[in-house]
This record gives sequence, structure tokens and C-alpha cells, in this order.
Amino acid sequence: MIALFRTELVKATVRVRTLIVAAILVALPVLISVAIHARKGRGPAREGLGVLARQSGLLMPAAILGFTSAFLLIIIAGTFAGDAVAGDAASGNLRYVLIRPVSRGRLLIAKLAAAGVLVWAMTLLVACVGLVAGLALFGSHPAIVPSLAGGSLHTFTLGTGTQLVRVGIATLYIAAGFTGLLAIGTFFSTLTDTPAGAIGACVGVYIVSEILDGIDQLGRLRYVLPTHYRAAWEPLFTENRFSHDLLTGLLVQAAYLVVFLGAAVIWFRRKDIRS
Amino acid sequence: MAEAVVVVEGLSKSFGGTAAVEDLSFRVERGQVFGILGPNGAGKTTTLRVLMGLQRPTKGEVRLFGTTITPGAAVLGRVGALVEQAAFVPHLSGMRNLRLWWEAGGGHLRDADLAGALAIAGLGDAVHRKVRTYSQGMKQRLGLARLLLGRPELLVLDEPTNGLDPGEIREIRDLITRITAEGATVLLSSHHLNEVEQTCSDVLVMDRGRLVTTGPVRTIVGTARSALVEVDDRDRALTVIRSVPGVAGVEHHVDGLVVDLGTARRSDVAAAIVHAGLRLETIAPTQALEDVFLDLVSGADPHPGAAP
Repeated sequence: MIALFRTELVKATVRVRTLIVAAILVALPVLISVAIHARKGRGPAREGLGVLARQSGLLMPAAILGFTSAFLLIIIAGTFAGDAVAGDAASGNLRYVLIRPVSRGRLLIAKLAAAGVLVWAMTLLVACVGLVAGLALFGSHPAIVPSLAGGSLHTFTLGTGTQLVRVGIATLYIAAGFTGLLAIGTFFSTLTDTPAGAIGACVGVYIVSEILDGIDQLGRLRYVLPTHYRAAWEPLFTENRFSHDLLTGLLVQAAYLVVFLGAAVIWFRRKDIRS
Repeated sequence: MAEAVVVVEGLSKSFGGTAAVEDLSFRVERGQVFGILGPNGAGKTTTLRVLMGLQRPTKGEVRLFGTTITPGAAVLGRVGALVEQAAFVPHLSGMRNLRLWWEAGGGHLRDADLAGALAIAGLGDAVHRKVRTYSQGMKQRLGLARLLLGRPELLVLDEPTNGLDPGEIREIRDLITRITAEGATVLLSSHHLNEVEQTCSDVLVMDRGRLVTTGPVRTIVGTARSALVEVDDRDRALTVIRSVPGVAGVEHHVDGLVVDLGTARRSDVAAAIVHAGLRLETIAPTQALEDVFLDLVSGADPHPGAAP
């Protein structure tokens, strides 16, 4: 299992596409940090993590993850997952992997785990670059945060240690929040021999989920959407509290993992390999 | 009696109601070079894919070394396969592809026959280049190297010379001969009749998913219905042969006399020539496997459910 995982990780990592993605995820936090810095002292201050990051560079990773986790990281995660099986099938390599005495279920888990490690690595990369850029441009200071929580306007202070710990928690939560997406992408990847189709379907599910989540009339049905708890980490910074939604969000992701990975394994084990 | 290396019993495989293989049975014994011959769409590749656990049979059973094949079965570790074109992870080097493929099975590359495999691939420093820069011939050679890494007891080769130039085809033929001499069994599918005739000891001919005939190549070629006769006196021999019961006709040919055997046997013709006091140099089937194959396939009953 470890050998399979290592193999799949090398295959996914040592390629130009992954390096380009990594380069973008290094450049983007730097650009965003510079842009936020360039607007410092100009124009009215608007709410948001970007504004808070002006007070302390330690909060810059949270601001940047807020920008990137809504779309860019979703596309990246969808690409890694959607390509997992379909990419091998498209190149014809899948049949050569499967003529070895290798369990298809284990192979699928190894592929999902490799995609997961890459997504976690990319999320951590964004956070780390954001942290370095934020500290370089804004330094590290306690942040005074205005809040409307509880119905009245008040402020609270986030110390530097608290900022750092919460940025760590937010980063891990955001990375874990891609679990469902990875499982859905891996499932789609077993259905087709066309990676673009699997990636498109996977990202499409998330776009539809975001749209549905915006329709209040759907009521509680929204609570099971894979993107509903995507921003559950933001109250750590904007309301100075740990939301229960953090735990619920993780449970929803775990449910998606079980359902879609299970479906993928069942389907893949029975699938005729014709590529 | 030891179990045959490959046993296929009543194998049928359909895709959405279209039969690709129907009720196919055959055995490959240890040390044989067994060819599966058939036109495109005959079901050769489907048969080999079922054999390798890539596809599940609709009906019937496939056993390798006495073990019923399921996807990922442990016995596949004793098999090296080249299924259609060799394929690799294109953005990795040839060497890295070999390493990852081998290690995915849980082994260490030091346990594999890397030196032997690289010698067969003959890629030199190119083995460190990305596979996407390889020609089809280079990929095919690397594919052969990959399947030999584990010193397999059974080689399954599906159209192994596709995309290769004549020199490379010769190399692969020699390689098969060498591997067989070392005790391996080879199962080879091809629609190149020369390849099968020159490489295989036994052959199975299939068409539209069904078995047409099977047996030693020599026997099948020997079923040809015409023969070339070389004698010292062709004119006298012509008269003698025409008198043999069952012979349908005799013609002069640049190499001798070509006899349309009709219902007669070659041995009948030979006996008549010798009995007439003529000196018989040779009497051999005039047809190559190609002719026999075309006769067999054109004579096979078409059936509407078969794959195109």
C-alpha cells in the first residue's frame, strides 16, 4: 500500500503541470500581499480578512486562503482528483498498472491519498508564502477586530500567538475541506477515460453546490452540500469564536469521502479496462 | 499431470449485448509459443485482456498456472504482458517508469532483472529521457523490457511488433526464441501471419469471436489442399499424379508441379510417384499459413451476434 502510494505520489508530483501550479501558488500570495500593502492608508477600510491583514502580517495567510479557497484551490484539487485514474487511462498506462498483482481498491485509495497530499501541500504552500509575505510587508502585531456578533458593534483583540494558532487551524480546516471534492473527483475519474471530463464534472459539482447553497429556500438541504461549511473557519478571525460548523463541516466531508470513495471502489473493481 | 500454464474454458465476453468472444476454449502448455491468430475484431485482444484480469468474462473461466484469474490476482506476478501498444507515464523517463511500475507491486528494483531488461530495451542514455520523446519502436522495446523485469514464466504479447521496423521485428522474434529457450511460455496474438508462422509452435485461429481451428502450426499448414512436387521427370509425373484417385488437377510451376489435392492426400501422391519409379525430391504444402488462414476465415460461419 505504501509502495503504491509512493508511486502515485511521484507520478502526480514530478510533472510540469504540478510545478506550474506550485509556482502560481507562490506568486499569487505575494501579489495579493503587495496589492493589499499598496492600498494601505488609501480609500475607506472595508470589512474582510484583507483589511485585518493590514494590521498584522500573521493574518495574511487567512486573507489569501479566503481568496483562493473559493475557486482556485477547488480547480486544483479537482484536477488532481479527476486526473487520478482517467489520466492513466488516457495514456494507456492504466492497463499496465492493473496487470500487476495489485488490488484495484488499494490502487484507488493510493491515488486518492496522493491527490490529497498534493492538495494539502498546495494549501500549506499558499499559507506559508502568505505568512512570509505578510510578515515582510506588515510585521506581526496584535489585531483589533470590529465585530457585529451578538447584535452590537464591539471590538476584540487577537494576540499574535492566537493569530498564528488560528491561521494554522484555518489552513488545516481548508485543506480538510477538499476531502469530499477529492473523493467525488476520484469517483468521476473511474467513470471515464478522459481526464478533462472527470475534472470538469468534479469542479461542476462544486459550482452547482455553491449555487444551490445560495438558495435559502432549500432550507436544511443545503447543510449536506459539500460547500456549505466551506467558510466555517472565518469566525475564528471575525467573531473570535470556534464555530460548531467546523466540526460539522469535517463530518460532512468525511461522509462524502465514505460515500464517493466507496462508490468509486465498487465501480472500479467491477470495471472492464478497455483503455 | 501438471496443469497447463493457460487454460481457457468456455470463455464468452460481451459488451452491451455485442459478443466479442464466444465459447472459446484452449490450453497453452509449458514451453509452448502459442499464437492467437485472427483478423482485426476477431476477439484476440479481448481474450488476452480477460486473461490478464483486465476484463471479467461474461461466461466461462480462465486459469493461469492453475489459478482462476481475478483482477489483481497474485498469480499475475508470474506473468509479463504487453497488451496492445506499450504505454507509460509520458512525463517520466523510461528508467523512472520501469522503477515505479516495478515498485508499485511492492518489490525493490534491485530484485528485478534491470540489467537484462535494459539490455533488451537497447535505449542507451535515452532511457533517462522522458517517454513522451520516444518513437513508437522505443516505447515498444521499453515495454518488452518492463515485462521482463520480473523474469516471468509466461509472456503474453498482444501484437508485439506493431509500429516496429523490420530490424526491430527481427530482434523481437529472436528475443522470443531466446526467452522460450530459457523455459518461458509465450502466448502471442497477432494478425501478422508471418510472425505467427515463424515464431509459434502452436496456433489458434479465431474469427468474429469464435474458435476456427487450433493445433500445431505444422499440422495446420499441412492441411493445405495443394502441394508442390519436385521430381526428376515432370512430364511423366504429371500423368502419374493425374491418375491418383481424388486429385483435382496438376499444373506446371516454375519450382515443380502444383497439385490440387482435391480429396487425395499428399501421401497418396508421393506413393504413386515412387511406385512409378520416379525420383521424388520433395512434396510439400504450397500454402503458407496465410493461405490456410484466409481459407479458414473465409469459410467460417458468420454469426450475427459477433463483434465487427
